[in-house]
Amino acid sequence: MIQNPQKPKNESKAVKAGPPQFYWRKVGGQYLVTNDFGFHSWLTETEFKRLSLGLSGKKDKLFEELAPKGFVRNMLDFADLASKWRSKNSHLSAGPGLHILVTTLRCNHKCVYCQAGAVKKASSGTEMSWPTARRCVDFAFQTTAPELTLEFQGGEPLLNWEVVKKTAVYARKKEESTGKALKLALVSNFSLMTEEKAAFLLENEVSLCTSLDGPADLHNLNRNYLGGNSHAKTRKWLNYFTAKNKKQPAGYRVFKPSALLTVTRASLGRHKEIIDEYVGLGLEDIFVRALSPIGYAKKSWDTIGYSPAEFIAFYAASLDYILQLNRKGVQVREKTAVMLLEKILAFSEPGYLDVRCPCGAAIGQVAYNCNGDIYPCDEGRMLAWEGDDLFKIGNVSKDSYKKVLSSPVVKSCLMTSELHLQPECSRCAYNPYCGVCPVYNYTVQGSLWGNMPSNERCALMKGLFDLLFLKLRNPKDREILQKWVKK
Amino acid sequence: MGKKVKQPSCRLNFSEKIYAPEAVRLAAYVFSDIADIGLFPSGKGLGAEIPCGEGRASLAGEFANEVLNQQCRLDLAAKNGKISSIIVTKALLSASGETGKKRAKQ
Repeated sequence: MIQNPQKPKNESKAVKAGPPQFYWRKVGGQYLVTNDFGFHSWLTETEFKRLSLGLSGKKDKLFEELAPKGFVRNMLDFADLASKWRSKNSHLSAGPGLHILVTTLRCNHKCVYCQAGAVKKASSGTEMSWPTARRCVDFAFQTTAPELTLEFQGGEPLLNWEVVKKTAVYARKKEESTGKALKLALVSNFSLMTEEKAAFLLENEVSLCTSLDGPADLHNLNRNYLGGNSHAKTRKWLNYFTAKNKKQPAGYRVFKPSALLTVTRASLGRHKEIIDEYVGLGLEDIFVRALSPIGYAKKSWDTIGYSPAEFIAFYAASLDYILQLNRKGVQVREKTAVMLLEKILAFSEPGYLDVRCPCGAAIGQVAYNCNGDIYPCDEGRMLAWEGDDLFKIGNVSKDSYKKVLSSPVVKSCLMTSELHLQPECSRCAYNPYCGVCPVYNYTVQGSLWGNMPSNERCALMKGLFDLLFLKLRNPKDREILQKWVKK
Repeated sequence: MGKKVKQPSCRLNFSEKIYAPEAVRLAAYVFSDIADIGLFPSGKGLGAEIPCGEGRASLAGEFANEVLNQQCRLDLAAKNGKISSIIVTKALLSASGETGKKRAKQ
């Protein structure tokens, strides 16, 4: 962010006023400049200096490029800039759209990174009861968001199938009676999927998501399944649901199944095999996600974790390979890139709750633990499972929607993730597209604010943005990346 | 009862000209899970006593960084607090279903 730079001697009116506020960062030998409206531009050192001092007027070639983007003070198109800002920040006018129901804490997998805090099948007091589930749905339908997604999670939600089933039916009825659009989603390892369960889920238009960490040896190393080969089960049901999606039946929509990749130390160097696994299964999106040292993963970080630089190297190699496949005509996109590019290129809010300002805590998502306790996000709930209830904001049986949403915890999360108040972020070139996570900051650095210069998540985000912006500078890559956003 | 062995410590002074006492206190609070930081008046400012024994050589530097972080945050709050407050309030009101407009008196 530059304000009031040194002024040259022969200053015109534009020079006198100086440029409007902008952010900058030197990347790959050039200056990347961005602004709050979401525009960006690449400048040489000379151009950057001239912008900082104020451009000399309409005859300036740079002027043509920078003026419509809001970088020239006396040429600001406020209507257009305000509309871009509003679209990019549409989440400020919505309410919590994602409602995560942890229907059980039990799981039949023992994954090396599992944040869900899996407990053995025989444990008691870990199931969401039907009355609690119903209260969660009633609570969720009070959202001010025009549409809501109810996501069944766990543990493994299929272990509490009867409650999942009843809840789905109840939520669909509630959709009819309230007129509020509803999406249902289930995140499952598919190991307990049956034809009967699948039929119910498809008929009720539940979108399905699973975990796929790569080829069999890697997937099974990360995702220990007490009942056998996790990879084989995952593949079987992914193929099943993909086939159902291709033969759309009459009467209801069948969504394409999706999968989530969790990158562990064991994944590093195996990007090609992992991506080929996804492509081979006909999956068109691959979400290359970094592991967070939150919950269970924190304990085993030395074995499964990595530095931001190691992840960025993995991500860069993955993105290069995906772009290479695209050039060969293979349809596959990287999901992190898609969501960030939607902000950078389309000025839209993609619903990436972890990376927005303020963060999605309660204003974008709400997580319901199996006992009805409410958290502003799933990470906050995981921390509670580890014994720290700092992020609890209420309980569906005791607290009203308004009380929960105006909880001091929610306010704190929002204030601490508002980037204008973060020392490093308030000047960062990626400020218009980025977001911080108070739960991560609290877990890793001991305060909701964190300390960005030494924050590994910040290093990781900066690495991702550097990479994406450099790709956008290359016309061939940019052409492909633009198509990802338009899709 | 064993005799208490005094741990080696370093002292840092934070001049009030640069660091508000609140920034030093906030940093000590952030560090409360890591180490006991002793605070004491020191000239026109606050002094901090930081353990710097074996394995803790970098702690004093890290603490000074945190004090700087807190000071920058306080400065920023004074500068950007209003716009941030508007953004957060807008998000909260939208999510909770409040309009934010005061009801007209009947």
